[in-house]
Amino acid sequence: MNGHDEEEDTGPSVDSTDPEERIAARRIRIAKRVEMARREAMGEDPSKLKKEDKEEQSKSKRQIEDSRQRLTKLESDGSELVTNVRVAADAREAHRRTEEEEIQRQRNEKLEAEAKAGLERFDEITKKWEQANSRDLPMELHDLLKQQKSLSEAMIDEKNKLINDFQLELKSKDDQYVKDLKKQAEDIDLMIDRIEEQVKNLTKAYRDEVTQIEKSFETERGELMDNNRRKWEQAMTGRGDQELEYMKQRERRVEEFEKQLQHLRIQDADEYNMVKIKLETDVQVLEQQLQQMKATYQLNQEKLEYNFQVLKKRDEENTITKSQQKRKITRLQDVMNNLKVKLSKQEKQYREENQGLADDYKRITEQFKELQKKSKHFQATDTRKFHDIWCMNEDQVKELAQICLEQDRIIAEQQLGLTWKAPQDMWFMDSVGPIRSQKSQAEATATSAHDVIKEVMSVESSVQGDDETVEQSQPDEGEEGEVEGETEGEKTKVSVKTIKRVLELLCDESGFLVESKLNTLLAPLEKDERCLMKLDAIFGALGVETEEDVHKLANFFIKYQTPLDAPAAEGQTADEAAPFTVDTEKQTTPEEGEASTQHRASQVTQPTTTKVGQVSDGAEDVEQDDFDEGDNAEILQVTGRQEEAAGSIRSTRSDAPELIHPNDVGKALRDFVNEHSKPAKEKAKFQTFRIISGEERDDSEDAAYWASFPSVLSGKQEKVWKALLDGLEKYSDVLNQRSKLITETDSLRQQNAELRMLLHQYINSKVNQELEIPPTRVLNLDVPQ
Amino acid sequence: MTTEPPITDQGSVHSGGKEDVNMNNNAKPGGDKQPIRAGVRSGGRKSLPSPITSARSNPAADNRNMRRIIAEDPDWSLATVPLLTELCVSHVVNNFADHPKLDELLPKYKAKVLEKISTDLPLKVVAHLVSDEGYWERCCKSRWQVCDVSKYDGSWKRMFFERHLEHIVEHFVPETTDLTELNATLPLASPYIKRLNIKQLLPPVKEELTKQIDDVSDAGSDAGLDGPSMDHFEFSLVTQKLPHLQELRITYGVQDCGMNFEWNLFQFTSRDCQLLSKCVKACRSLKIFQLHRSKVDDDKVRVLIAHILDHPSMQELDLSHNMIGDSGARAVGKLLNGHCVLKKIDLSNNRIRANGAAAIGHALAKNTTLRYLNIRLNRMGDEGGQALCRALIKNSTLEELNVGSNELTEPTAAIMAQVVINNITLRRVNLSCNRLGPDGGKQIQEGMEENKTIQELDLRLTEVGQESEYCINQILKKNQERERELQLMEKEKNSLDR
Repeated sequence: MNGHDEEEDTGPSVDSTDPEERIAARRIRIAKRVEMARREAMGEDPSKLKKEDKEEQSKSKRQIEDSRQRLTKLESDGSELVTNVRVAADAREAHRRTEEEEIQRQRNEKLEAEAKAGLERFDEITKKWEQANSRDLPMELHDLLKQQKSLSEAMIDEKNKLINDFQLELKSKDDQYVKDLKKQAEDIDLMIDRIEEQVKNLTKAYRDEVTQIEKSFETERGELMDNNRRKWEQAMTGRGDQELEYMKQRERRVEEFEKQLQHLRIQDADEYNMVKIKLETDVQVLEQQLQQMKATYQLNQEKLEYNFQVLKKRDEENTITKSQQKRKITRLQDVMNNLKVKLSKQEKQYREENQGLADDYKRITEQFKELQKKSKHFQATDTRKFHDIWCMNEDQVKELAQICLEQDRIIAEQQLGLTWKAPQDMWFMDSVGPIRSQKSQAEATATSAHDVIKEVMSVESSVQGDDETVEQSQPDEGEEGEVEGETEGEKTKVSVKTIKRVLELLCDESGFLVESKLNTLLAPLEKDERCLMKLDAIFGALGVETEEDVHKLANFFIKYQTPLDAPAAEGQTADEAAPFTVDTEKQTTPEEGEASTQHRASQVTQPTTTKVGQVSDGAEDVEQDDFDEGDNAEILQVTGRQEEAAGSIRSTRSDAPELIHPNDVGKALRDFVNEHSKPAKEKAKFQTFRIISGEERDDSEDAAYWASFPSVLSGKQEKVWKALLDGLEKYSDVLNQRSKLITETDSLRQQNAELRMLLHQYINSKVNQELEIPPTRVLNLDVPQ
Repeated sequence: MTTEPPITDQGSVHSGGKEDVNMNNNAKPGGDKQPIRAGVRSGGRKSLPSPITSARSNPAADNRNMRRIIAEDPDWSLATVPLLTELCVSHVVNNFADHPKLDELLPKYKAKVLEKISTDLPLKVVAHLVSDEGYWERCCKSRWQVCDVSKYDGSWKRMFFERHLEHIVEHFVPETTDLTELNATLPLASPYIKRLNIKQLLPPVKEELTKQIDDVSDAGSDAGLDGPSMDHFEFSLVTQKLPHLQELRITYGVQDCGMNFEWNLFQFTSRDCQLLSKCVKACRSLKIFQLHRSKVDDDKVRVLIAHILDHPSMQELDLSHNMIGDSGARAVGKLLNGHCVLKKIDLSNNRIRANGAAAIGHALAKNTTLRYLNIRLNRMGDEGGQALCRALIKNSTLEELNVGSNELTEPTAAIMAQVVINNITLRRVNLSCNRLGPDGGKQIQEGMEENKTIQELDLRLTEVGQESEYCINQILKKNQERERELQLMEKEKNSLDR
């Protein structure tokens, strides 16, 4: 601070001549003193406080706070010190200004006064100029002029004086200005000095404070270190004590544990020995086992190795083959693809072909049907014609025979005069229509058989409603199989009931053959109707179209029921062996069925014997019969009679027919189908030529029949007739001659008459008269006029 | 140099000299390397006395040609030829004025080039190309002795351009100086200039010459008559082209006139005022405007304020050391009541009296932006002081007030005591050099006892008495401490928030 004072003294000093400066200096001094006092008060108080607070607050922080306060104070003081110069200058300036104002005011007043005085004087002078105008005398004028001059000079002097005053003032002001400049320069120097001093002081103070703060930090740190060290040592000693204690405890425990260990060791040693012995024995046993195991293992290993080798080889082979197969597969795949393509092509082609063929087939069947119809029609017409012709011929022949007989009688009675006796054997004369050998008898039974069938059919007429051919073919059957009709008649008589029952059974059991759709459709119908419809469907599925088939089927059912019959049993066994093939055959059955439908017309008559044959023992004979049947009707008849006998036996047996158990229906059906499919084929073959030979009737008797007619006249009679004829011929010749002659004469007579007529005419004609010479004249005029 | 080992990196600064030495030692034909050598020498390596001069003058006599190692030469190096990159860099440096290539270079070469290029390069070349601060630092230091870069936001480039432009403007003599230099410089400098501190403006020269012939007394009186011809530099030339200008400080006067003092050197003409006002108005980005020591009187202030009444960004206005009277102060009051956003007004050392102070006080009562008001060294008197203080009771934005040297006395002190009690925004008050007297001091002391915000209250040379001054100081100290604690707490809060 002393330095400050010294420097300050160089600034505005109290001893200065300038009063303002002195005032400023004093003020500065006062301010400084005040500051000093304040500083002392401030400086001491905090230091005391500091000491008191020392224990409470942390030393370093306090130190920092103190330093900060001290420094801020120092700074503010310093800045105050520096700005004091400016403030003093301001104050001076303000003072100067007030003074300046005052001076200005005075100056203005002076100027105004002067101006007033000047004006007055000027007025005076101008007045005098007016007086001068009135003066005439030059002397007066001269005086006046002099006076005026002096006056104006006085005025000018006054003005000059004023000007001089102002100039003096200006000069003093200039001096003042220079002084002020100097003063300002001094002030500035002072300020600079102070600033520099301030900076120096501040830096010093800051440095001091920093060192102090550092020191305080160091002391604090030292204290802290001491504290911590003390604590550390305490803790260390405590730890050492504790460790010692622990050591002792540990030793104690170690001893205890050693004792325990010893005890345990002894115990364990005993145990160990025992266990060891046991384990050793175990080991021996196990070693033995191990050896065994090893041996087996060796063996197994060898085996496995061998297997492994084999498998490897196989595997290799397999891989090779696999690759080959793969290659093959690929190749085959290609081939397959090609084939597929081909197949599809082929299929397409075949389908088309099939379509074509089907169309052809349809057409042909239609044609065939047409043909059949035609043939039927022609057959009917043929038969009718045949019948008519036959009847006509017969009538003619009969008439002729009658005529012959009549003539014979006439000859005998009239010519010979003998009594005439009619020939005795004249049966043929009674017959009307074509000859039917023994049919006359059979016809009665046949019709009865039909009725029976119809009875049965009445049950299933609706079933086989479409099978018109059955009814249609009945007459044919009647024509051909009269004998069979008898047998059948008997058989059917027996089995009508059974058939009905069989059919019921079928209807109940073989629902699987009926389509599910149909079942739903049939649901609302009555029981009988439903039964019929079902049967229809079942028969359609089984390929049963004819009544015979129905009978056959029934027989199957019955046959199964009576397996005691040895031959039947044989057949059955044969049948039973068949089912394996049934499947394949079943597939073909529909086709066969179709085929059979095409030739329904002829089916009825043909397999009757077969059925009978089946019923009887000789299955093989039956087959043979089947083949021969169409050709040899007589054999048929014979066998039929034989069978009839057998059938009667059978019928007696099956008088109380017991049907097979419902469970066997399936088997029976299978057998039936199996059996049924074969004859159907044969039928198909057979039927082709049946059509041609269908209308062939037995004309062997016809010749005899017709030959019997000439026997109306015997040989004797013939001779008589011959002789008579000769005689009569001769007689007739005579007669003829006579008649000829008669006729000659007659004609001649007639000619004569005619000629006469002509002559008459000529003569009688008018021309003659005209003539000069009438013929009459020429002539002899003998003509009578 | 001497500390350097003989064999060093070729990239060192001294490679030029070494190269020369080596060329001589290897006895290579000098013609090939001549351009390089010349270039290197011209590159500004004058500090090194090249050994080649002696070698060339008498090659045969110089035994150094015969030796491989020259121990006595500290610059000597075994390095034979500098790297091509080195040569290229030096070439680029030498021809930088004609072929400026900088951005094309790799960073390390760029740095080298920037290190070496001359500071005398034309601004046209370097202004936009070089942004390296190091270069501009060199430029500044080579041109001016005192360089305080902290005033320029640490940007040497800004400093260079601002001072360069200031130099041009300050030495611009109207109607004689050629405009070309200014026009050439402006577009180059415009992106970097934020502040212009014009410390002097020269009047036209020819008038001066004629005036010098006349007698001294006439010069003062005639200066006013010759006003139009005494116009100074036109700022519209400059401000229009400086889009980033934020600060403008102007003094219409001549520096260092010494004994050549003449009144007309310090003439602020009305035309100058008109032009300057228009410039300031046009310069929308201006934040700080200073026009001091320029003899600005009431009329000119009114013209100026009429122009800047609605300035959008003006924050500081400094009209200190002028001749502003009451009507000028009224204009300032009007400005404060307008749309301006002024935060700082300096009217120190003017001629404001009671009326002007009352006008300012009236404006202050309504203003909500002003933080700083300086009316130091005026003639307010008690009347004005009272008016101002009454306004301060209502004001709630002003933080700093300087009414030093204003002939204030006790009545003002009484009201100031009221202000001190009621106002809670004032931080600093300067009442120095006013004869408040002991009673006033006591009143203020009483007021201060209830105040907790004022931190500085300058009562020097106010004759308030030591006791009150001491008490007030104590209170101020307390206030300062409280403020400091508050600041510390805020800081902690901020740090916690982060």
